[in-house]
Parts: sequence; C-alpha cells; structure tokens
Amino acid sequence: MKYAFYPGCVSRGGCPELYPSAVKVAEKLGIELDELKSVGCTGAGVLPQNIADPINARTFAKAEQLGLPIMTICSTCTGVMAQANYRLKEDPIYREKVNKEFLADEGLEYKGTTEVKHLLWVLFEDYGIERLQSLIQRPLKGLKVSPFYGCYLRRPPEAITPTKELNRRKSYLDELISILGAEMADISGKGKCCGFPILSANEENSLAMVAKHTGESKEKGADFMVTPCPLCHLNLDGNQSRAEAQTGKEIDLPILHLPQFVGLALGFDTNEMNLKRHIVSTTDVESKVSMMS
Amino acid sequence: MEITFKVYRKDPEKDGKPGRSNYTLELAEDATVLDALLKIRDESDSTLSFRGCCGRGYCGECMMRVNGSARLACTAKVPDYTKKGPEISLDPLRNVPVIKDLVFDWDAFMWNKIKEVKPWLEPESSPVNGENLASEAEMQDLRKVMSCFYCGMCDEGCTVLPVDFKFLGPAALTKAYRLAFDPRNKDSREQVKIVEKPKGIWDCVHCYEADEHCPRGIEPTKRIVALRDRAFNSGITHEAVARHHASFASSVKESGWLDEGRLAVESEGLTNVKGLMKLLPTAAKALARGKAPIPYMHSKRPDADKIKKIFEKAEQEEK
Repeated sequence: MKYAFYPGCVSRGGCPELYPSAVKVAEKLGIELDELKSVGCTGAGVLPQNIADPINARTFAKAEQLGLPIMTICSTCTGVMAQANYRLKEDPIYREKVNKEFLADEGLEYKGTTEVKHLLWVLFEDYGIERLQSLIQRPLKGLKVSPFYGCYLRRPPEAITPTKELNRRKSYLDELISILGAEMADISGKGKCCGFPILSANEENSLAMVAKHTGESKEKGADFMVTPCPLCHLNLDGNQSRAEAQTGKEIDLPILHLPQFVGLALGFDTNEMNLKRHIVSTTDVESKVSMMS
Repeated sequence: MEITFKVYRKDPEKDGKPGRSNYTLELAEDATVLDALLKIRDESDSTLSFRGCCGRGYCGECMMRVNGSARLACTAKVPDYTKKGPEISLDPLRNVPVIKDLVFDWDAFMWNKIKEVKPWLEPESSPVNGENLASEAEMQDLRKVMSCFYCGMCDEGCTVLPVDFKFLGPAALTKAYRLAFDPRNKDSREQVKIVEKPKGIWDCVHCYEADEHCPRGIEPTKRIVALRDRAFNSGITHEAVARHHASFASSVKESGWLDEGRLAVESEGLTNVKGLMKLLPTAAKALARGKAPIPYMHSKRPDADKIKKIFEKAEQEEK
C-alpha cells in the first residue's frame, strides 16, 4: 500500500510534532509514503481559485505520474485539494484549459485520475479497520475523547461525501475512538468550524469558537480532543489560553493530532508521539497512558 | 398515528417567560408538521402562534426547528421525525428574538442584514426600450441565486451567527453576490467593498454548512468564496485581511509553500507593536516547546520557480 504523501505546510511549521508522528504511524502500519516534495501549497482557502486550482492541478499531475493516490494529514489540505480536483475532474474543458495554460510549459498534463485522501479515510477505506485492530497494542480504555473533524473534512458534499456510502466519512472519527478502545465524549460542534480561518479578520469570534468547542468537551469530561486537522490544532491548542482569557473560564483541554492518537494505541509512547510539543499541557494524558502500558 | 408535539411557548403579553405546551393528536400517515400545527390551532389551542403560507416549500415562512434541526414545517413529514418515539419538539430558530411562540423577528434575523448589502442594481446605461438587457449566458449562473426564497435556512446553519449575531450571514451575502456578479451593475466593485466591511465576507469561516442547509442548492458558501476571490483579485480593502492575504500569497509565490512565522507577524503588521506584543505569550510557549516557526527562516520548495511562474501567470490573466 503506497501513497504520494502530501504532508502540508503546518505539519512541519506550526505543528512540527505532526509530521514525524504521522511518518512513524504509517511505517508501523506498513503504509509506504512517497513524499511529494516539488509541489506547492494548496492555497488553504486563502488563495483564490484562479491561482490555487492550477497549482493543485500540478500536484495532481505529479501524483498521476507516480501512479499513486495522494494521502494528506490535514483536513484543510484534503478539502481544498478535493474541491479543486472535483472541478478539474468534472469539467474536462476547464481541465484542458488549466493543462494548456499552466502545465504544458513543464511538459505536464493532468488527466483527471488522481484521488485525494486523508489518512483518516485511508484507514477506513483502503487499509481496513480489522487490520488496524489487529495491530492495537494498547487499547486506550479509560480515556474519554472528543472528536473534532475540521469542516473541510465533512463538506462540501460533492467533493467530500459524493455517495451515500461515503457519507460515512462524517462519522469515521467517532468510530475510530471506540475502535481504539477509548470512550466518546461527544460534542455538538464536532463538525463545525474551529475559528482558525477568521483569526485575522475577527479574533474575538475565532476565540469564542475555540472556547465553545473545547469548553463543551471539557464539560463532557473529555481527557483530550482528537483532530485530523493541524489548522484546527493551531487554534484549539495554540490559542486556547487566549480563549480562556476572553471568556474568563479555565478550560485546559489537550488536543491530539489524529496520528498521535492512533500511534498511542499502536504502542508508541507519548514521547515518540511528541506530545510534549503541545501548548496545552498533556501531562495528565501522558500519565494515564503510561499507566496502561 | 398518535403523536405528541412539545411546542415552545412564549407570550410577551403574559409573563414573557419561555415554556412548553404538549399537544397529543391523531394524524394521517402523510401529515406534515404544518398540518399538525394547523390542526392544533383549529381544534385544541387557538392561542398558539406560528407562521405558514404556501404549504409547499416555496415561501419559506414556516421555518422552525423540528427536533432541534431547522426545517420548513410544510415539507417536514411527521413520520420522518418519530423514528425514536411518537414525540416531536418544535422550537423557533436559534439566536433570534422571539415575538410569540414559534413566531420570531424576521427583520432582526435576516431582512435588516439584506438591507445592509445595498440590495438593488444600478445599471450603467440608460434602458433600451425600457429594458437593461443581459445575455442568457451571463444570467445562467445568477438565475440559480435568484431562485433564493429567503427561507433563512443558510443563516440557521451558519457557524458564525451563534457566536456573533451581527455577522451579515450567508443569506445577505448571497444577495450581495447576486448583485456584484450581475453584468448590468455599473460598479460591482462597490458591492464587494460593502461586504468587505467588518461582519461581512471576511468574517465567514467558509465551513460550507450554509450549502448543506440550503433547500434550493444555491450554495451560499461558494458565492461568498467567489466574492472573496473577486476582492483578492481586485485588491482587498479590509486592512487586516489584506495584510494576511498579501503575506500568504507572497510566501507561496516566493517559496512554493507557506512561511507560517512570517504570516503570523505580517498579519499583525510589522509596525503594529501592540499586535505583535499580543503574539508574544503564545510564541514564547511555542518556542519553549521547540515549535515556533522562525519568520523568514524558510526554505524554498524544490520547483519553487515553477510554482511562481504558474502563480504569476494566473494573476496576470485575472487582470
């Protein structure tokens, strides 16, 4: 099982704990990663479509040359690329225009065959849950976990959940929590926005969203929240103390990346999963995990 | 089938305190929630207030929350909501001022916001034979947006409105799109500038909830994204957003990927001491954990020059 790996900027920038954790987990699972190094940023919903689509088309063409589907570890990368891919696949005239105007100079052409998948989808759709279960060395019993998807991993439907069967993508994280042996601390906003996209435009609203989601999770008794999106992580973890200051309420909820969560169940220790690199202290999680092993 | 409706009640002429009334009634298998409300009002409680008009999912008047989710009462089939038991809760929309029972203040919810986006066309030319003409091709996309019947479902689904009711919301912003992209509008940039103000397009988190909620498939989020793209391509007028987007674009253009440290400081503004000071506590914590990306210490991706070429060509084409 092999993928063209698109790690995204944040997994090596603002969340440098994510990239090595994901690589270790993939290696343990036997998922081979061929990293796409000479490709650009997806645009992250910041760059307009007319600029981002050709850059993403180039990424898809590079993966197509390798004959591999793309695997990401970021909901935003997945969402932005899936939307661009949908436009390029569904509209051959548009694809031809992008190929001709932007990729032909390099001798590249995107034929429209590349799939874009997040690690979370890969686990369920390609790897297989039974196979994952067979590798669990440390069932995370006794831990209460809230899921937080990142909106780009749930919508828009035509790009993310195009069939009735794939609508199940909306509950993969919920399912994974029980598969890894943990208990669910469900929250109403698990599929909503974390607030990160408006941090520059309206910091107050952005932090209010952080407080809302993490506060609800804490009230439900969660030990931590797990997210497949490092941008959500930047806001929910990195800006949690500012959200606390804004609302005057202590929250103190650790936020784990998806690969870290999977990695702990696969038997990695908390240092190997770089938990110490988080802004919100993960000491309580670390001691609970260490008591399990 | 016998169903119990647990209906939100509030009467400003009495004590104005919210409560709930239960009504148990016999309904036909194909009854809608609006059928049930009409039956309750006609047969058991004439004081119950709710809105309803066309009865066929067209006018948007009867929007309310059915078992917690926003629905048009006239298209919500009762059996679809009784799978867990013969009880249905009915409530007004979230975060809106309730006038009485299920009747809420539409002005505060949506109409006042639509007024803010200057919802009319100002054509450049004088009408030819009394008409300002636009081609069929130009109107094709807009016709979809014009099928909006202002039910407000997109605003109800919005992620931002529950934390900030002053946000213009997807319904009003979609109206702005309809005007900004109309070929007859003499100054579409003006329309974009209006919604670039605080509480407008830049406050949208583009989570696509609105698209999922819209019963007409108008895709309000995609309309907001199109307004943002147009603002980006013609020069963003919102200062903080302009700084953020310019920094983002220039780091991708120069290196192929994002320099996050640079983005953080340039988004605040290099001369904005107060803004930069605000970053310090988090930056210090991040540094202590070995994770703060140092601004401008950023390597180029292999093929960065090729990505830059695509970027510049795309920019040029838009101009």
